Order: sequence, then C-alpha cells, then structure tokens
Amino acid sequence: MFSRMVYNSARRSRKENLIYFATLVTAIASFYIILSLGRQDIILFLREFESDAINSLLAQMSIVYIFALFLLFFLILFANQYQLKRRSKEFGLYIILGMRKKRLILQLLAEGLITSILALIGGILIGGFLAEIISLTVSRLVGQGIIGHQISLSVEAIFYTIIGFLFIQFIALIILGSKLFNQEVYKLLYGEVDKKQNMGHLKYNVLNLLVGSVLLGVAYWIALYHFINFTGLHMLLILSLGCLGTILFMRGFAKLLGLLANLPKSKTTKGLHTFTLRQFQENIANKSISVAVTSILITLAIILLANGASIFVGAESISTKGSWVYDFTVNGNSQKVEKFLNSKKMGAYVEDLNFLEIGRMKNGDKQTEGNMPSSLVEWSKLRQQIIKAMPNDYKEQVLSGNMQQYSFSSENPEAVNIFGALETSQISPYLIRESSYNGILKAVGEKPLNLDSNEIALYFNPDFIPFENIDSIPVLDNILEEAIKKEESLMSINNKDIYIHSSIPMRGLVADRSVEIFSAFIVPDYMFKQLINKETYVSYWNFRIPQKLQEQQGLMKPMLEARDILKSSEFGFESYLQNFGRKLFYVVAGSYVTLYMGFLFLIISCTVLALQFLTQMKQTRQRYLTLSMLGAKSTQMKKSMHRQVLLTFLLPTFLACVSGTVGIRVMNSFVTAKIDDNALLYPIALAFACVVILILLVYGIAVARSADHEIDKLL
Amino acid sequence: MMVRQEKILEVKNLQKNYGKRDNTMKALNGVSFDILQGEFLGIMGASGSGKTTLLNCIATIIKPTSGSVFLSGKNISSFDSKDLADYRGTRIGYLFQDFELLDNLTGKENILLPLAIHGMDVAKASIKLDELVDFLEITNILNKFPSQMSGGEKQRVAAARSLISNPDIVLADEPTGSLDTRSARILMNKLQEINHESKKTILMVSHDPNTTSFCSRILFIQDGVIFHELRRKQDESRENFYQRILNLVAQLGGGSANVL
Repeated sequence: MFSRMVYNSARRSRKENLIYFATLVTAIASFYIILSLGRQDIILFLREFESDAINSLLAQMSIVYIFALFLLFFLILFANQYQLKRRSKEFGLYIILGMRKKRLILQLLAEGLITSILALIGGILIGGFLAEIISLTVSRLVGQGIIGHQISLSVEAIFYTIIGFLFIQFIALIILGSKLFNQEVYKLLYGEVDKKQNMGHLKYNVLNLLVGSVLLGVAYWIALYHFINFTGLHMLLILSLGCLGTILFMRGFAKLLGLLANLPKSKTTKGLHTFTLRQFQENIANKSISVAVTSILITLAIILLANGASIFVGAESISTKGSWVYDFTVNGNSQKVEKFLNSKKMGAYVEDLNFLEIGRMKNGDKQTEGNMPSSLVEWSKLRQQIIKAMPNDYKEQVLSGNMQQYSFSSENPEAVNIFGALETSQISPYLIRESSYNGILKAVGEKPLNLDSNEIALYFNPDFIPFENIDSIPVLDNILEEAIKKEESLMSINNKDIYIHSSIPMRGLVADRSVEIFSAFIVPDYMFKQLINKETYVSYWNFRIPQKLQEQQGLMKPMLEARDILKSSEFGFESYLQNFGRKLFYVVAGSYVTLYMGFLFLIISCTVLALQFLTQMKQTRQRYLTLSMLGAKSTQMKKSMHRQVLLTFLLPTFLACVSGTVGIRVMNSFVTAKIDDNALLYPIALAFACVVILILLVYGIAVARSADHEIDKLL
Repeated sequence: MMVRQEKILEVKNLQKNYGKRDNTMKALNGVSFDILQGEFLGIMGASGSGKTTLLNCIATIIKPTSGSVFLSGKNISSFDSKDLADYRGTRIGYLFQDFELLDNLTGKENILLPLAIHGMDVAKASIKLDELVDFLEITNILNKFPSQMSGGEKQRVAAARSLISNPDIVLADEPTGSLDTRSARILMNKLQEINHESKKTILMVSHDPNTTSFCSRILFIQDGVIFHELRRKQDESRENFYQRILNLVAQLGGGSANVL
C-alpha cells in the first residue's frame, strides 16, 4: 500500500510538474558536465603535455563542483518548495486522517528517491550527450583534427553526480518536509492565511527607487571610470553597490507599479490590463529580493558568457598553425640524428626534413668604450630610414633617446617593432644559413631566396613580433625600394656594402621554443661560414609529419607515435604539440569555467523566475475563477497571463542587460585586450547573446504553456 | 392593484443529474418558476436540497441535464462558453458568500473589473460608480486592498461590482454567510433598498430565515423539487414575515437544523 502510494504520487508529480522535473534533470546534467571534464578530448590531450597545469585545473574543478553543488542546492530547494506547496492540501488530508508526520516525511523521501532516480537517468543521459557534444565541438573548433575523439563517458563522474545530487535532494527534502509539517494543519489544508497587500508608502517607494538607481549609477561609474583591478576594495565596492542598488530598485519599482495601474489612460482600463499589472506587481513586490537576485545572476551570466566567448575567440588563432611549420625539432649529433630520422622505424613519420644552422655573428676586433664588443654591422642608413617611417610621437622618443626599452606588441606600428628587434641585437646579430631557410620556404611552398653574394635578408620571428601579415612587411619594402631606386646600400658588414633582399615570408624556425630569437640575418652559405662565431653555432633537425599520414589518421595519432619513438632515442627533441598545448591550456582553463558558470547562473535564474511565477499562478487560482465568473473569456485570461510571463522575465533581464553591458565594457578594457582579432568578437558575442535569448525564450514559453494548461483545467 | 410585470427569468422543468446510469443523483428534479422584473426572490432549502445547484444552473456555472433557463427571453442554458462570457458580468451580476474579490486589486479596481473585462468605457461609468459607492457607503475604502477591509465592507464592494454594469438580474449565493449579524443586516438593508428604489431584480439563495425575510417572495426547495412558496404581503412588516418563515420551517420539519 505504502509503496504503491509512493509510486503513484511520484509519477503524478512528474507528470503534473514538468518544470520541477526539468529542473532536477538540468541540475544533474550540469553536475555531470563539470565532473566529466577530465574525460573531455581536449583535457585528455592537454594532460599529455601540461599534466601539472591540467591537474591543478582539475583540482580547481572540484571547487567549481562544490560551488555548483551549493548553487544548485538552492535551486533544488526552491523547486521542491514549489512542488510541496502544490501538494500541501493533500498532506494536510493525510495528517487529518491520522498519518504520522514521520511516516509522511518518509513517504516524501521515498517519492523524492523515485523521482531522483528517474531524473538521474534523464540527467546523466542528457549530461553525457552534452558533454560529448561539447567535447567534439571544442576539439573541432580549437584542435581542428589535431585532437582525436574519444567517448567521454566517465563512470567516476556518474558516481559523483549521483552522490552529489542525492545529497542535496535529501537535505532539501528534510529541511522542507520538517518545515512543512510543523505548520498548522489548517494552513496545509486551506493554504496561507490572507497575506496583507502591503504596498508601502508612496514616499518610501520613490525613495527606494531613487536610492537604488543612484547606487547602481555609482557602481557603473566606478566600474567604468575608476576601476583599477579585479581584486580588492574596488571590486567589492562595485559588487555590493550593484547588488544593493538592484534590490532597492526592484523593491521600489514593483510597488510603484500600482501607480501605473491607476493612470487615467483609456488603455489602462480596458480588458485585464489593471489585473495584469497588479498580478505582476504582486509577483515581484512580495519577492523583490529573489527577483533582484535573479537579475544579478543574469548580469553575471551575461558577463561570464561574454568573457568566455571572447577567450574562445582568442582560441581561434591557436587552431590555425600560423607561423609554425615544423612538428618536431630534434637536436644532437647531426649525423647520428640524420641517420636516425631516415631510419626505417622513424622515416615513415618524417617529411620536409630540414637542417637548421644558426649562430651569432662574430664581433669586430676593435673594442668600444666601456669594454663593449664592437659590431661588424654598420646600419645607420637603414636605421635612419626606419625612424623616418615611424609616426611622429615615436620618432621623437627615439631621436631624443628616451626609448630605453622595446616592447613588441600589435599595438605598436610595425616600424617600431622591427626597429626594436634590430636595435637590440645590433652588436652580434643572429645569422641563419640561407640553405636552412630555403628548406623552410620549400616546406611551405614558397620560392627559395637565391641571395646574391652581397645580399642578405632580414628575418623577424613572427612568434615574438606580431605582424599583420607574416608574408611581407610593407614598411620595410618601401624603404628597400627607395634604396634600390637610389642605388644606395643601407648597410655594410665588415666594411662591405650589403644589399637587403625585399621582405620574405616569415615562419617559425623550430617546432616550439628551442630557438628564441627576435631577428636575424639570413646570409648566403659562404658568408655564414665567414661570419659565424663558432662558439654560438647550433644546429637542429626539423621535420613534419607527412601530409598523407595526417589525412589518414589525423595529426594527433602519428605525432604521438613519432614522439614515442623519439623518446626512446638518445636525442633531445621538442614538438609543436607542446606549443599548441600551452596555448590551448589558457583557453580551456579560461573559457570552460567562465562559460560553465555563465550558463549555470542563467539556468538557475530562469528556473527561479519560472517556478516563482507558477507558484503565484497556483496560489491565485481562485482569482482566475472569479474573473471567469465576471465574464472574462479564457483567451482574455491567457493573454493577460502571457503578458505577466513576459513582464516577469523582462524586468530582471532588462536591468541585467544594462548592468551586463557595463560589465562587458569593463572586462573588455582589462581582460580581453590580448585578443588581436576583434572582428571575430562580434559574431561570437552575437551568437552567445542569441543563446541567452533562446534560453530565456524556452523558459518563458514553457511557463506560459503550463500556465495555459492551468487555466484550461480551471474552466 | 397589481401592475402587470414582465418576466425577467423563466426556469422551465430544470433537471440536473450527477453520476452515471445506475448511480444517478437527481440534484434538480424538474424545477420550474418565473421571476418578474423588480422581484426580490429568495430560495430556501437545507444542505443538499439542490438550492446551490439551481443557482449555479441559472448562473451558467453548470449546465443543466435538461430543461431551460430564459433570461429576458434568451435561453441561456444552451449557450456555449463564448456567449456565456458576454452574459456574465454584464447581464448577470454575482454576489458570493466569500465575496471573491481579487485581493491584489483595490476596491475601486475590483468594482470596475467587469466593465474592463467587457471592454466598456470606464470613464463613462464614473457617475454610476459615484452613485453606487455613495449609496453603499464605501467611498473611503475605494483605494484600499481587500485585506485592509472588514467583511461587511468587502461584501459591499462586491455588491457594487455586481451592480456596476447594470445587470438584468443579481444572483446572490448566501451573501451574508460570512458576515456578522450587524454587517449582514446593513447589507440586506442595502440590497432591499436597491430592489425597491431602482427595481433591480435579485435572486438570493440562503438557508437563513433572517436573511430571506428581506425578500418579497420565497421558494422552498427540498430533494430537488420546489414544494412551497411564501409571499410577503403588501405592507407586511419584516418581523411578521420572518415569523411566518420560522413557523413554516417549524411545521415542515421541527427546526431549521433539520429541514432548512
């Protein structure tokens, strides 16, 4: 009998209250997603290279999990409260019939367990599916075939999801159950005793609204004009002012809505307009704090999503290999390495093998003042021309000698960047052997250099110096063209006039970071031998994974295989994966958590709004009956109700949009300044905005439909 | 001399059955009566006698199994919900035992609600509103919410709401059921006055002899059948009429608890 009752009640509450059930499923799915993060392709991939960083990220995930558990606890509490309120009459009846409260709580828990199990099945399925989609999308978007796909189902994640969810569900039911059954039976049977319609004094409400608006304004003002960093007093001040302002604003606004209802406009007195406004007013005036909290949560969601999206946009540049050519760089005894790389075992993984030779230029024989070694290079003409090509403010700084340090950034004019790169290495610049660089050019399908005997090319490392286009430097070319017209040489090395080749395609010299140079001279092979300082000479073997192999198996698999073979050899090596992984890590660490929290906040606030609305609807059921007695048609009532839903969702969202916009602006000026590609920010930001709107819409429509259903049931 | 009066409501052989074939309960078993323009008709009966079912059939809240109800010549028992909505609140005014005011609307907003629902111009109704409010003595509570009013005040606001659209008939279901004696007397006096002064037709269901003694005619209903009628004589005092009702109740079954 007991079990039958439990089973039937549990089934009924699921059927009758889709939103309640959907909330449980959502909570579970979000647990699963955060917990199964460790099984995501991208994380598995990163673990191979950045295991320490990934482990500390995953360790942080448990904090996120606990935080999510904490947030979702309130959601579950709210959902269960709604559910129990709906059934309070039934519980009252059980108690009147002599059921013990203990047993009733037991029944409640048993029902909760059945519903939880079903919600767990649904939630884990949906969560697993979503995690799979996220895993695939991210590895496609960011890794573009570099990352292979594995099913992300994680038993451990399922286990902790179940534990976590059952735990909060249990606690919520215990709290609510004991609270519920400590009420008078009368209250259970007949609902709340008439609540006073406390709309407060006009004066106080206007004051609330004004103070709220002023506090918000001050928070915006500080955020926009006086924000220094994300920690400390400023942040705290903005947050507390913003929250307090939002709460006061909501409170004042809600109670003043009554004024709107009294406006002597003809529109306000037609149809159910007054009723609609009053319902809306009641819904937010009595719950101004929770409405304000949802508004704050939506604000946070907007900011987090925008921020996560912008980090993601930054990731776009990772997926394109950009200036990197080689997948592996091996060093060691050059003959042995060559032999090894051409061996049967290894040869299958090697394409475009290239021998890179670099080193620094010898110094002059003369000693300069201050015991500094002298340089063989004389480049004052070139220097002059580059300075001439700079914008005026930079020019003045350089000429007045105020430019002590050089920083390379995309915000600088290119002339300033290349000037800095040349200036810092003028005493003993790096040399690259022409044939080495020709190998690189050949690998990327470019023509070889063919330098004349008195010609060099300037190389700038695109990994460190940002260029708009890594294939040419227009500023440099202009200077060089002028020089050719005048038949003038801009530079001499060892007192010999040298001509400079027009700018060349610039690519990474090695697979990762074993060569950290900003600029170098690419010199003909004979000149390399003449000018090289033998002590600084280094050589590397670079190669790529064959194109065919990549097409067959993706880049990831052969790269890992090649890595394993290399590991077993005696040679030192590095691979593009490390480079890629390092960059990817920042993206993943940054965007995953922010996006996840953003969506979590959004879903929580939507659910709270939805449940709040439906609770009110349920509690004011009788009003709709009265309306119908007074001749209101069901279409009229539904229309009024749809308006109420719209207003209920719009009010907190509207304020959140204003605050969110301010927040995004602040974030933009601080955090996302790194992103080079702002053009991409807008479509992605737009896409995320659409997702936010879509989620709000789905919730709104779901609420409206279930409220429609209530009205149909009523009549 | 009797003036020939128009029938405002005709109830013809009204039947209402609950339950299925073998287990039917006849709540109304062929009820027929007329109400004339300007009458104040009471219907008395004990719990389960069918009086509320009768009122609900007339009020279009439930559909009769058979028979018909004519309001001003129109058979409203055959209306569909759309036509009904047009009748409710405009042609028929309601007064409920527990007022049924919307507690998030002020008194004034509650009163004007039927007009708003039917899309009528509220501004034009302001004279009518002032009159009603003045007459029912609720001017000072117009901007209060129901939770700030006393029971009597609530019911007078509800009365104003039922009259604002100038309906053909006001249906009252135990209007004094939730009121104390003093508030009940004030309300009934007001209803009687409305009936006398503006010739408003009122149909009231009650089991309280005191309340029904304000009526001009009373129908007694038992087991779904009208079985007796009392008429208040011209110039008969209310006390006298009340005594007659009590006597009848006593004759019929020895105490109101038993029969009525």
